[in-house]
Amino acid sequence: MIIHVENPIVEVHDLTVSYNSKPVLWNVDFTLPVGQMIGIIGPNGAGKSTLLKSLMDLVPTSSGFIKLFNDDLDKVRHKISYVPQRESVDWDFPASVMDVALMGRYKPKNIFGRFTKEDKEIAADCLKRVNMLDYANRQISQLSGGQQQRAFLARALAQQADLYLMDEPFAGVDAATEKSIVDLFLSMKKEGKTILVVHHDLQSAIDYFNWVLLINTRLVASGPVKEVFTTELLQETYGGQLTLLSKIGDLIKEKQFPMREQ
Amino acid sequence: MNEHLNILDFILLREANVRYVVLGTMLLSVASSVIGCFALLRKRALVVDSISHSVLPGICLGFILSGTKDPLFLIVGAVITGWLSVYFIDIITRYSKIKADTAIGLNLSLFFAIGVLLLTVIQNSGNPNQAGLSDYLFGKAAAIVLSDLYVFGSLAVIIILAVVVFFKQFTLVSFDLHFAKTIGLPIKFYEFLLSILTVIAVAIGIQTVGVVLMAAMLITPAATAKYWTNDLRKMVVIAAVIGALSGVVGVFISYLFANMPTGPWIVLIFSMVAVFSIVFAPEKGIFAKYFRQKKNKKKMLEDNILKAFYKLGEHDGDFFKKRSAEELIMARKFKRSLLLKGLRSLRKLNLLTKVNDSFVLSRDGMAAGARITKIHRLWEIYLTKYLRVADDHVHDDAETIEHIITPDLEKRLEDLLQYPQEDPHNKQIPY
Repeated sequence: MIIHVENPIVEVHDLTVSYNSKPVLWNVDFTLPVGQMIGIIGPNGAGKSTLLKSLMDLVPTSSGFIKLFNDDLDKVRHKISYVPQRESVDWDFPASVMDVALMGRYKPKNIFGRFTKEDKEIAADCLKRVNMLDYANRQISQLSGGQQQRAFLARALAQQADLYLMDEPFAGVDAATEKSIVDLFLSMKKEGKTILVVHHDLQSAIDYFNWVLLINTRLVASGPVKEVFTTELLQETYGGQLTLLSKIGDLIKEKQFPMREQ
Repeated sequence: MNEHLNILDFILLREANVRYVVLGTMLLSVASSVIGCFALLRKRALVVDSISHSVLPGICLGFILSGTKDPLFLIVGAVITGWLSVYFIDIITRYSKIKADTAIGLNLSLFFAIGVLLLTVIQNSGNPNQAGLSDYLFGKAAAIVLSDLYVFGSLAVIIILAVVVFFKQFTLVSFDLHFAKTIGLPIKFYEFLLSILTVIAVAIGIQTVGVVLMAAMLITPAATAKYWTNDLRKMVVIAAVIGALSGVVGVFISYLFANMPTGPWIVLIFSMVAVFSIVFAPEKGIFAKYFRQKKNKKKMLEDNILKAFYKLGEHDGDFFKKRSAEELIMARKFKRSLLLKGLRSLRKLNLLTKVNDSFVLSRDGMAAGARITKIHRLWEIYLTKYLRVADDHVHDDAETIEHIITPDLEKRLEDLLQYPQEDPHNKQIPY
């Protein structure tokens, strides 16, 4: 069940992505509404993070196209903020929490520009919003998992984007931090922001999101959470009904076939 | 006599030649240390080693094709083969099943083997210009002349300037490449820039340090500097200072003794600074860690003695009674030597006084003993009540926690438990 929307903020057409020639996303096709809190749900290895990365052109796609704000990514980058998985960086890097938040104020066009007083104020405000202002001068290697995640969120807030792509923001954070992050997302939604979150806990997904993408290599469903969270669709996402598809995927890798004829 | 003259010559930079050598080495060391910080943070230390071995065939080819030891030709050759090795590592890891560390190992030995072969060919060729070419293996700073300085020095300055200008971009690319790409930074360009600057830094070090040891010039100062700071800006500056000073000292030593290669000396001095930092750096050093542990042990001992005094006082109904060491050992199994040491430090803190061979708590000492006892008992309640730990299992845990809890946490614990009167073992909680 894939529900399409008018004037989507994200539009994905026939997207196929492969790693080492094994397809991890297969013919994915959906549209997403503006101003919602959207969850990307699916089992491990279903291609959730890959989907987020392909939206930001971080992985090569085999086929299909993507439109954001009905435009090409390069024209709307300043309206999008991407928050990678916390483990994707080395936290033993010599930088303070403030340094990380300030990275959100970085403008690629302004090559030689220094951070202005305004940049620093915005970064400090964002740290305050995630309750990290007291830690502004702390070295990032001394942070707990939840604090690292909040430092990343402060950086994202500092970008002042309209669309936020979050890769597993709740992974490895404590319950109190998870609650505060959810509250933050809700207040961002109130400001009209669209938040796309990779998440793997079904239980909390019902409470957190009002629109959900169910994926397991292929897109199982896309729609309002109440319509999508049916036993049937969830079983289809998490159950073992995709054996044929995964068999063919393995075969493609084995024979080194291209995903599309050139 | 002659040697003293040499030292003075060097220190006073009396000879033009010495000035070139010192200036050249300083510029080179600063440039390689600065760019090395980014190589280190991007986890490219081994790639640097591969580059430094791979510039040798380039130097030899530069010599063979030009027939001279003109530094410009040699550097161009060095940069080309150094860059090729970076490129090969990239290609091999991307298109084959070979992992990065293996690819680096393969490259390093292959390029170096070719380099040594070419060097042998040149040495056997009878070309009179080839004398001294083998110095490029381990470096000979004393051989730097003005024309070398112009070439090496200006390249070093270019590297330093590039790092200053692109500092923010390099930081972003080194910390979070994906994020850098999503905000539209041309990461391919900056990665290329970092790689080519690294290759150039290696190439300009060939005369002073030699190709074999050049990797240390980039990596050791950076790794050492990281021990002294948590700020990348400061780390780069510290690495540059360490690089410059060690470089000059190394050159000085090799200048004093005839036929001493410069590279090994510089690397030795770097390594000494590194070992010193690993041991003595504040916060991150081994010594600081040891000192912290020792301080913790001391606090635990003091707390335990005060608690023993309190326990005895509770038993007798008199907290200010004189206690002998034996009595305290009866109350809690202290090691005698440790107990006496702890009693001495508590006296210095005015928490107790010595009367003949016995000890008496002061008012502050009694309050401190009561506080530790209180925290211990509150924690036991917390464990039984909130964590549902059986009450005969809580004592050992409380023994540790009582030393850690800060006044802030103490207050929160009191508020949470609402000032209970007795602990799980029916002992009074002192407030």
